[in-house]
Amino acid sequence: MYSSIMSAAISGLTVTDVRVETDMGDGLPLFTMVGCLSSQIREAEARVRSAFRNLRFSMPAKRITVNLSPADLPKSSSRFDLPIALTILAASGLIPEESLHGVMAVGELSLSGELLRIKGVLPIAMKAKETDIRLLIVPQSNEAEARAVDDIAVIGLGSLTDAVDFFRNGCLPDTPAAPARKQKLNIYTEDFSDIRGQSSAKRAALISAAGFHNLILIGAPGSGKTMIARRMPTILPSLTREESLEISRIYSIAGLTDDSMPLIGTRPFRHPHHTISPQALAGGGKIPSPGEVSLAHRGILFLDEMPEFQQKTIEILRQPLEDREIIISRSAGSFCFPANFLLLAAMNPCPCGCYPDMNRCTCTPRAVTEYRNRISGPLLDRIDLSVQCPPVTYEDLSGERARASSVSSAQLRAQVETVREIQRDRFKGTSLHFNSEIPSSEISRYCAMSPAAETALEHAFRSGSLSARSYYRIIRVARTIADLDSSPGLLPRHVDEALTYRPLDSGFWRL
Amino acid sequence: MTGREIRTILKDDPLYPEKMKQLSDMPDTLYALGALPDPEQPTVAIVGARLCSAYGRNTAYDFGQILASHGVQIISGMAAGIDSSSQEGALDAGGRSYAVLGCGVDVCYPRANTTLYHRLIKEGGVLSEQPPGTPPLPYYFPSRNRIISALADIVIVVEARVRSGSLITVDFALAQGRSVYAVPGRVGDALSDGCNALIAQGAGIAYAPEAILNELKMLDDALSGEKRRKRAARRATENEKRVQAMETITAEAKQIYALLEDNETQHPDALASLSSLPLPQVRAALMELIREGLAEESARDNYLRSSPVRE
Repeated sequence: MYSSIMSAAISGLTVTDVRVETDMGDGLPLFTMVGCLSSQIREAEARVRSAFRNLRFSMPAKRITVNLSPADLPKSSSRFDLPIALTILAASGLIPEESLHGVMAVGELSLSGELLRIKGVLPIAMKAKETDIRLLIVPQSNEAEARAVDDIAVIGLGSLTDAVDFFRNGCLPDTPAAPARKQKLNIYTEDFSDIRGQSSAKRAALISAAGFHNLILIGAPGSGKTMIARRMPTILPSLTREESLEISRIYSIAGLTDDSMPLIGTRPFRHPHHTISPQALAGGGKIPSPGEVSLAHRGILFLDEMPEFQQKTIEILRQPLEDREIIISRSAGSFCFPANFLLLAAMNPCPCGCYPDMNRCTCTPRAVTEYRNRISGPLLDRIDLSVQCPPVTYEDLSGERARASSVSSAQLRAQVETVREIQRDRFKGTSLHFNSEIPSSEISRYCAMSPAAETALEHAFRSGSLSARSYYRIIRVARTIADLDSSPGLLPRHVDEALTYRPLDSGFWRL
Repeated sequence: MTGREIRTILKDDPLYPEKMKQLSDMPDTLYALGALPDPEQPTVAIVGARLCSAYGRNTAYDFGQILASHGVQIISGMAAGIDSSSQEGALDAGGRSYAVLGCGVDVCYPRANTTLYHRLIKEGGVLSEQPPGTPPLPYYFPSRNRIISALADIVIVVEARVRSGSLITVDFALAQGRSVYAVPGRVGDALSDGCNALIAQGAGIAYAPEAILNELKMLDDALSGEKRRKRAARRATENEKRVQAMETITAEAKQIYALLEDNETQHPDALASLSSLPLPQVRAALMELIREGLAEESARDNYLRSSPVRE
């Protein structure tokens, strides 16, 4: 007897539909599995066998061949346990063979026959919607995630017994109604009002969040760089559903979603420690899994103490910062992961942290140069905004001035959302979301400049130190500043302010 | 590489500087790219910190420039900071400047000074006791300082910490019988402690380039005649330019310019709270001042007025 069911393989972020088929015939009892399988799939035999026994059903003493097609596609993961078990049951006549037609099933089996949670259900459900599938069967604990995709019939099952019941009698097990999906509210324990002084850094953070521009904070230890960075999530613009699905897809594959929050509702904030390896940052493995740059997609990648990262590691960021995706080539093929993140970096200006205050800096010129050189020019050139955080004075910490300079996250967020609306109207009908994504060919279309503003920019370019790349980056930042000012065109004051944050060249450190 | 020959000058060569010949611990061989200092012309060495302040950089530039415009040759070590600023000043004034290196004369160190290095070869000279190709190793530098002071009539220290390589040059200068001048700094500025200590010990006070010209018996020349008039005229045009620029700029920029200082850098945050203008306006005003040549940014977010006379 023969039977088959659909399932899905994931490599990188790509989901491929896989047909699981079982043939059962006479001969010496033998169980063979073929189809370019990894050891996780081969181990399915033991799990299925035990699950059957615990259902009071024994594996038929026949010659059983299981094939996962396309047979040349390398497959791994434990999600094929359920489809393998179902086809064996159908081939042995325990459940009607035709009931499996047009069904896609995924799930891992425990030895007792329970269905266990698996990774990557969201993209599988998306794939099921694209293909000709009438029903998607997933483990109960993944049901909410699968239901996040509209217009696809999903059934979540708790065990193999439930599955047999369903396919034999068409009845679903009584399960307690799924608790109403809790929308996680943006409740943050931290707030921008905690930060004293640092008006420039706060302003740069606002511009950065509003237009999704990269930002580097340079300053003495204890000036509040990390505090500001940690408060960035509190002012980021809210996610659209489309963006949320994009992020959740990556998180689902990385196994970072949970059932109470099937869809990621807030922008990611990733802050890897500086000991991170290149593979962990970019994505690695024989079949690569997403790295930090992809987990920070549509959110923030925060690199604290940037010069402490291995140079080899941070230079990886160059290509994703330009292309907004990362392509990883392995023997199994090339894998493309989205990596459209906001790079937020913090660093000291020199090993002692006091440069350019010469009365306090105890570093030798060589030490300062070497510290600076740990971050290459091409990388600095890709960071749109850079500010220096001066040491905090006592007046900043207490008294009238402290209150005057304090600004809450809610105030900043309101400004960010206003600019977000402006950008939504501006980019209607295009794939763009933020000013930072405007391609250089479209700059003139979106960033109309007054003649005086153009002169200001020309002067800055001619006086040196601007690359063609930073030229465009400055215009994009000026666009966001003008949006914060509700100005349709770029005026000289917008361009001038943008120029004061211009990408760093070696000019920050005049040695 | 430079299109010029490296000259090897032995101690018995007539080209070997007379001032060095008279001293006992001078090298037997000197290598030179470009010219050698003119023994007939007054010569001043300007040395100081590599990591210097905007004040030091401006002062070194001005001393180099004004002394060179009176025909004084400037000797220094082409290091970052004070050394290179003084030499740039001298060359910008159309004068001559010579660098004594701690590496081979065909090695440009620090590499960031490549432009200055090539200018020096063309408009002055680069000297060293190390054979060509010698890499810049730390222990070559203190001993090259004795050549800097030997070639000079006067040694000026612009900015030096208490423990500074420039003070090695001073020790050599005193042993060689050269006058030592120090540019005074504020009490408590770590970068000027060394200079102030030198003054306390009896060094001359380099309060203005004229003080040096006086010592060189060139003051009459400086204060009278063509040169003085020219300098005054230049100052006047410069000032006029500033006045003109001040008229065209926005009110905010004027307000910020009034708050900026000549030798002390300020952060936009501080300027914003001093002026009670909103920060975005302060930052835009600062960029406007830079464009008009009224302000400069010495490091990111560290602003000061641009130094007044730069020709």
